[in-house]
Amino acid sequence: MTTTPKIDYEKIKGVHKVPLEELYTSGHRTCQGCESATTMRGFIKASGPRTIVTGATGCMYVANTSYLTTPWIVPWMHTQLGAGGASAVGMAAGVRALQRKGKIKQEKINIINFSGDLGAGDMGIGGISGALQSDYDLLIIMYDNESAANTDIQATGLSIYGAQTTFTPPGSKHRIMQRRWKKNVAGMLAVGHPTCKYVATACATFPPTDYLNKTRKALSIGGPTFIHTYDPCPKGWDYHPRYSNELGELGIKCGIYPLYEIVEGNVIYTWDARKSGKGRIPVKEFLQRQGRFEHLIQEDIDYIQKGVDEMWEEWEIPGVAPLKGILKARI
Amino acid sequence: MIKRVEVQYRGIFQKNLAKKIGSDIVMIASSMGQRAFSNGRYSDAPERNGIPCKYFAFVSPDLSEEELEAECGAKLEIDEANVSVVLDDTMCKGVEPWGWHGVRPINERVVKDGCLVVITKRPHEELLQFIGKKPYNYRLATLDGEASLAGLWVNKDDLTYEHVLGAIAAVEPTIISIEAVEAYLMKKTKDKKRAEAARAAYNSLRQEAKPPRVKTVTPNEGIVWTHEIPVLPKWFEMQEGAVVPAVPRGFQMGPKGQSRNTGFKRGTTKTQRPAVRFDLCTKCTLCWAECPDECFDPTTDGYYDIEYQYCVGCGKCAEVCPVKECIVMVDELQFHDNNSPWEDWKKDPKTYITSLEAKKGTERVNYPVVTGKGVIVTKGEVMPEGKIVPVRKTEEVEV
Repeated sequence: MTTTPKIDYEKIKGVHKVPLEELYTSGHRTCQGCESATTMRGFIKASGPRTIVTGATGCMYVANTSYLTTPWIVPWMHTQLGAGGASAVGMAAGVRALQRKGKIKQEKINIINFSGDLGAGDMGIGGISGALQSDYDLLIIMYDNESAANTDIQATGLSIYGAQTTFTPPGSKHRIMQRRWKKNVAGMLAVGHPTCKYVATACATFPPTDYLNKTRKALSIGGPTFIHTYDPCPKGWDYHPRYSNELGELGIKCGIYPLYEIVEGNVIYTWDARKSGKGRIPVKEFLQRQGRFEHLIQEDIDYIQKGVDEMWEEWEIPGVAPLKGILKARI
Repeated sequence: MIKRVEVQYRGIFQKNLAKKIGSDIVMIASSMGQRAFSNGRYSDAPERNGIPCKYFAFVSPDLSEEELEAECGAKLEIDEANVSVVLDDTMCKGVEPWGWHGVRPINERVVKDGCLVVITKRPHEELLQFIGKKPYNYRLATLDGEASLAGLWVNKDDLTYEHVLGAIAAVEPTIISIEAVEAYLMKKTKDKKRAEAARAAYNSLRQEAKPPRVKTVTPNEGIVWTHEIPVLPKWFEMQEGAVVPAVPRGFQMGPKGQSRNTGFKRGTTKTQRPAVRFDLCTKCTLCWAECPDECFDPTTDGYYDIEYQYCVGCGKCAEVCPVKECIVMVDELQFHDNNSPWEDWKKDPKTYITSLEAKKGTERVNYPVVTGKGVIVTKGEVMPEGKIVPVRKTEEVEV
């Protein structure tokens, strides 16, 4: 049994300390104001040049090999939609075998899988779950723009309740076509995978450097780790690209996206509205800024608000685990 | 005989508009007893916010439906266009066609005596400073109006669609006639306002209209097109599997110090570009940190230079900038080059600031959060050199 070399990353204290060099550079086909590109740029800044990136098909995959060119400086591989987790395991196993045989130097090589909400949280979740049960050293980042944005915004299991997508257009008879509540992927993976030592949720731009440090923490802890990032998508959410930053912030502040990390079974809230004294802002402030919720009426907004309130007030572990406690008597 | 209409539009922002124009040309031409067919193609699929895209409509008075479809249906790009409609005038700087050929002139497909219709507030002369030369005469029509930008789900009903149909009828009546356009709009919407809007656009582009909006462009008008067609690897040069060579690692402080993907510059995506007043900069790093396209180059003195060839003009930098008037989004057609702004400022700060302020003007055009809800025009301010005024944000960012 070979031991995987470890690396201790320094915490990035403030935006002035963020590494200047880009390893995911200009010249990619992402949308104007793409938050997922910021997420991609961020994790590679945090992890450094000794990294291999892989990922299942998604909008960030066709965006990054346009006409036989790529913006990547580090090795990067695109794999099939359901194969994100398997490709990461294969790469980690390959690196370990090469190091054991002495073919490459013993050093920490980060394996990062960067898959979308469809590739990691919806149809690709089996592979991701398998990867998190392995003993390999890999990090899985799920960038969640709440739709299959690659093929013009189709609903996935992570699309938010009430959102308009090409699969769920509002009609004259039925106003709400997306009637599923958003899947709680980070919570589910944390609860079900004892091998996974670190699970976190993050947003690339809010709070600043938080996401970079979570990536570094995951890589330092080692083993299979998972980060779920919230990426506002100007195309699918229908807002002007210049507000990508603000939308992520509002989503977190209204409580729809809880920010936390789970280290060895302990939950740490990294941004907690309950502690700021002001509390959560109404979800309406977040919803009314997006064209995909244009068809909602007050009744629907109240329903969403109720769901979010329940998540924070009634869940055993607010925002993380949707269990409401143990009943003393059998029903 | 086939007449071809090309609608050049901004991806997603004008997708629904262009599609509606293309498909309704088919309906109107059919009502005139012609055969017609329309299809769209992304500039590079899937369609992304802001990239130049095209939609086509084909009309024929004599071919059968099958023949027309066989002729036009299988092609991703047309070879010639009798009418080319440009829904946003900043695309005059060039478009990126299907199957990466680099940046091509907006009028590349316009045939001899064909017409390029541009929705703009600018005179012909100003547009011709960006449009490439053609070896023959063609017409350039300026349809008065602003670029109508909307979103994927929320449409913007500002009569641009009706204006464009009227304009096509004016410049090429054999494709669709104004009477047929009016009859179609009345039948479909029962709204007189729409038929009248089409008629007004038609009248504004007629020969006898004052001021004349259709100009015949001769071969010596326009610019020499300097963008090269990129060389893609031949099939025998490709590596095994689908291996694409990575960008070589390289970083140093200063303009263009970061190595970038030289094969895919996508500056044609922008309608506005960030203009920086370096004298107001507090070196907070936010523009650089938030840029999704890695366009900012850190300089040795702590500023952030911009590489405009890669900037797509999303405006995130202007939004997060904490200083008033430091980064402002300015109309792309105000600029003729992609020079490094930091170098220009270092060379001659006074001239840089004066010329930048002249380009900025007094109006600041911003978009509301939800696209399709028009524009917000506010009054700008010329800040004296070095006067740093913080922008009052609604709430402090907690770290």
